[in-house]
Amino acid sequence: MAHEFDAIVVGSGITGGWAAKELTEAGLKVLMIERGRDIQHGDYPRETRAPWELPFRGEGDQAAYARDHAVQRLNRHFTEFTEDHFVNDRENPYATGDDTRFTWFRSYQLGGRSLTWGRQCYRWSDYDFGANARDGHGTDWPIRYADLAPWYDKVERFIGVSGAHEGLAQLPDGQFQPPMALNVVEAAMRERIRAKWPERVITIGRTANLTEAKPDEGRAPCQNRSICARGCSFGAYFSTQSSTLPAATKTGRLTVLTDKVVEALDYDPATRRVTGVRFVDTKSKARGSATARLVFLNAGAFNSVQVLLNSASTAMPQGLANSSGVLGTHIMDHANTLSGLAEVPGFEGHTTFGNRPTGIIIPRFRNMERLDGRGHTRGFSFQGGALQSGWTRGKRQAGIGADFKRELRGVGAWRMVLVTFVECVPRASNRLSLDRSRTDANGLPLLKIDFAFGAEEHAALREAHETAKEMLEAAGGRFLFGSTEPGAGGTAIHEMGGARMGHDPATSVLNKWSQAHDIANLFVTDGAQMASSACQNPSLTYMALTARAAHAAVGMLRDGVI
Amino acid sequence: MTNQISMDGRAMAASFTSDAANVPGGLHRRDVLRGAALLALVLGAPGTALAEGSLRATPQQWALVRRVCDLVIPATDTPGAADTGVAEFVVLALDHGLEADGRSDHLAWLESALAGDARTLPDRLAALDQAAFPPGPPPAVPSPWRRLKALILTGYYTSEAGASRELQYELVPGRFDPDLPLHAGDRAWSSDWTAVDFG
Repeated sequence: MAHEFDAIVVGSGITGGWAAKELTEAGLKVLMIERGRDIQHGDYPRETRAPWELPFRGEGDQAAYARDHAVQRLNRHFTEFTEDHFVNDRENPYATGDDTRFTWFRSYQLGGRSLTWGRQCYRWSDYDFGANARDGHGTDWPIRYADLAPWYDKVERFIGVSGAHEGLAQLPDGQFQPPMALNVVEAAMRERIRAKWPERVITIGRTANLTEAKPDEGRAPCQNRSICARGCSFGAYFSTQSSTLPAATKTGRLTVLTDKVVEALDYDPATRRVTGVRFVDTKSKARGSATARLVFLNAGAFNSVQVLLNSASTAMPQGLANSSGVLGTHIMDHANTLSGLAEVPGFEGHTTFGNRPTGIIIPRFRNMERLDGRGHTRGFSFQGGALQSGWTRGKRQAGIGADFKRELRGVGAWRMVLVTFVECVPRASNRLSLDRSRTDANGLPLLKIDFAFGAEEHAALREAHETAKEMLEAAGGRFLFGSTEPGAGGTAIHEMGGARMGHDPATSVLNKWSQAHDIANLFVTDGAQMASSACQNPSLTYMALTARAAHAAVGMLRDGVI
Repeated sequence: MTNQISMDGRAMAASFTSDAANVPGGLHRRDVLRGAALLALVLGAPGTALAEGSLRATPQQWALVRRVCDLVIPATDTPGAADTGVAEFVVLALDHGLEADGRSDHLAWLESALAGDARTLPDRLAALDQAAFPPGPPPAVPSPWRRLKALILTGYYTSEAGASRELQYELVPGRFDPDLPLHAGDRAWSSDWTAVDFG
């Protein structure tokens, strides 16, 4: 049949932008479909606003948030400055199991969550790709670090990642721009902790904020404002708008549709190929369709699974590409909590200037050469940093009058914060399904999330708390607080899995090329493909897998395999 | 089927089998209008008009909130809370549930907690404040004063005078200096968003 496009990319976020860029640059005519509204790069109306220019001073209308943003308001990056970059929860409902606490943070707009992401970019290592094979949880990854290393190189060079080379096996170095600096307290803590535990390394966050301009792409270096989620007209952090969309557009082969939610993929059982997508206009509710030779699903991990489940047909009654029956299962999110907070005396005469848009990371140091975790076999890492408190400390202090005002004029004590990210073990019981008894405003069945952390994550949270406390105290800190209780599922905003990659078509959805075992011209290259979760941020790995899959798909098209 | 190739990244009019018109920026315009209306409400109208309008406070409550704002953050070499619209912010914020779960009546509570001779109000407020912040971890049932005080501080340090004259405000630092000498009397940066978040 005659196709309208060579490829359709569903979604315009971090991986959708990469798929569009790679496929158009390879010569394909591509349609990118985004469910949310259009946002032009630079059209960030509250980017430069001061708090006193907003009705609620940046804190937002809590009554309206309680009604319309009951989940999104729990995201630290959700403020009156950024509220337009998050979904309306009332208009975008989801279902949860009876015992499930899951905060699903979403950004339905051109660029998706690339506008609001945390920008932390970490390679995964063979401790991560080998984890399932090693301890038997989940199914083995069909790839290893060597398969992905050149694609990490390509992605890092293009998006711009600043970071320091450390030579750590568990957090491989990459193609870095110059690192941002540790502040005076972090630098001291690094030395003090390393002196006692050589394997525990504080290094500056590796972040997709430029420290050197990319003038050919119109991207300026980071201005150290740290207000990224408002949108950055300097183009200093990686987003679809600042980086991949201009590259794809430049080819002249990209068509973008916004305000169209894909409800299902069309499947031809005779050829065993998908033929295109069906979509609903979110404003008019009119239905439409488009056809292509191949489809890349990049709707975001859970939404890509939803599309596949909702594409069930007579030929594939369990959902598209689900002959294994595992579609929707083994979802993950890092168990995330504040493991330790300490006051750090001895730096009273020191301060900083500027707002660095990243903290520090302490990569995992457990369960590497030997399984030395207590009650768990995976990793945990820390992110955080040292900071001086500001005027908000006054909310916790007694005092009124001129003396109180004078006290709050200066900075407060130095504090060091360690937030843990605990690897989440893949479990069949953590899963997505469709609640066909309820539909959203577009007539689509609600996605239902069943999710709970298990004994492994809780054991690692306890060990993270203990090690955070001992490090902070050994480095001279006065320990104030730490928790072993994880935030609700979704808190880390690293929800992933549901269409896992694997060797065996009987136990996995995708092969090593992010290609459906069942359907040769269908690729899922967002977080849905993940077979394990590691304990560091996943977006860089999604991008590398997307670039790799696009290269493979183009080759298969040329070879006539697809 | 016809479609126009998008050369600038904008979703252009496309007619697939759908007949819908794309309306880029529609949400944004609505939002600006909503914001402008609220801004006028907060900044443009005098307190008495607000008291009789959509912001719910009696004239006595308005007077008390202004006085309390002045006592918490008085004018010194920079303006105080009473001169910078903080009372209006506190009433607006209470009306919209900021720092509170639903609209429990903090203003009526404050009137009752501070009832008595106006001349000794400062002493009663100081005692109320001390009692609300006992040593040790926060009380299981916190005093409503903690919320009111938090709103007064937010209102003041996010006002133009509080943020940029009492403290310093720099939207575009342009660089990061990891270690600078700190001198007595140096003013903190209200634009250090991490410090604001993690206090």
